[in-house]
Amino acid sequence: MKFSSKKRRFIILIVIVVLIIVLLNLFQKEVKGFFYYISCPIQKSLWGAGDRVSDFFESFFRIKSLKKETDELKLKNQELLSQITVLQEQKEENKVLREALGIELQKEFKLALAQIISKDISQDFILIDKGLEDGISENMPVITQQRVLLGKVSEVYKNFSKVMLIFNKKSSFDATIQREKSEISGVVKGKGNFRVSFDFISQEKDISKEDIVVTSALGRIFPEGLLVGQIEKIKKSDVEPFQELEVKPFFDIKDIEGLFIITEY
Amino acid sequence: MKKILILVILLYFLALLQTSFLVHFSISGIVPNLILILIILWNLFEKSKNYFGLSNALVGGFFLDIFSNRPIGFFILILGITAVFIKFFIKNYVRIPFIERA
Repeated sequence: MKFSSKKRRFIILIVIVVLIIVLLNLFQKEVKGFFYYISCPIQKSLWGAGDRVSDFFESFFRIKSLKKETDELKLKNQELLSQITVLQEQKEENKVLREALGIELQKEFKLALAQIISKDISQDFILIDKGLEDGISENMPVITQQRVLLGKVSEVYKNFSKVMLIFNKKSSFDATIQREKSEISGVVKGKGNFRVSFDFISQEKDISKEDIVVTSALGRIFPEGLLVGQIEKIKKSDVEPFQELEVKPFFDIKDIEGLFIITEY
Repeated sequence: MKKILILVILLYFLALLQTSFLVHFSISGIVPNLILILIILWNLFEKSKNYFGLSNALVGGFFLDIFSNRPIGFFILILGITAVFIKFFIKNYVRIPFIERA
């Protein structure tokens, strides 16, 4: 079989490109780490600039709804303040009882502060500015300042880490809905495209839209009590054994300024 | 050479812009893929005998791979195929009067 010189050149080019791609994949961590290292300062300033510009434009678009939202928040604030007073009383009471029974208080987390550098192009991953050198390792939980769960560390570089967000289709973990007398356990699964579902809840369980989903220690993936989100959609069907529940996560990637990695719990 | 260097820097900057700046302006999670748009436009309006658009697609794909969680080669392949497809389609089936075709 004879090839013309043009075809031969084209085949050689393809072979070279394939070889380069194979080589780059062999040293993927080093190559990506290098690019993240040189891009970090620019990306950090771009992230900050994006945040400021979007805040500026958002204020224009939301000016109408802001008043209504403020009123609602004021009301909610009053409600929460009264709850805090009750909880503080209970905390004191709890402390006294724990001392009396000799039970130690739950240990607090050890945290490392990190900043977002970029978001993945196609999947639900973010890049943060802490890595191996800062004591970060794979599977460490990542939360916001308000103890809202973002996801877990999936890949660690020398100075950077990739965090798999809870939206990712590969993300699944045990969670519960806290009730006064009982708790409802299920599994939170990422659906991709900023959607999260709460699965394996039987049809007879009574779930309302205001219910809050928190992590449970059952699967030992995340520590107990981290906020996941609020139930947004409930779909019941007599044919299916379980309810279809959609959870609205408590965070928006655009609004996060600093996040924490739980290094010990 | 200068032209290539400028384009490589431009593609790199577009990748940074897309992953760090435009994320804040996403509409239900969708961010415009600037590199893909550039590659499509470049290949649409390039003379069919030139292959600069194809090499741009490979470089652009490389930068997209770097800033994504996929193995290196995924976007190189996608953008490469896109560029080849556009070139093939335009060469054989499309005639645009105001664009000179070789």
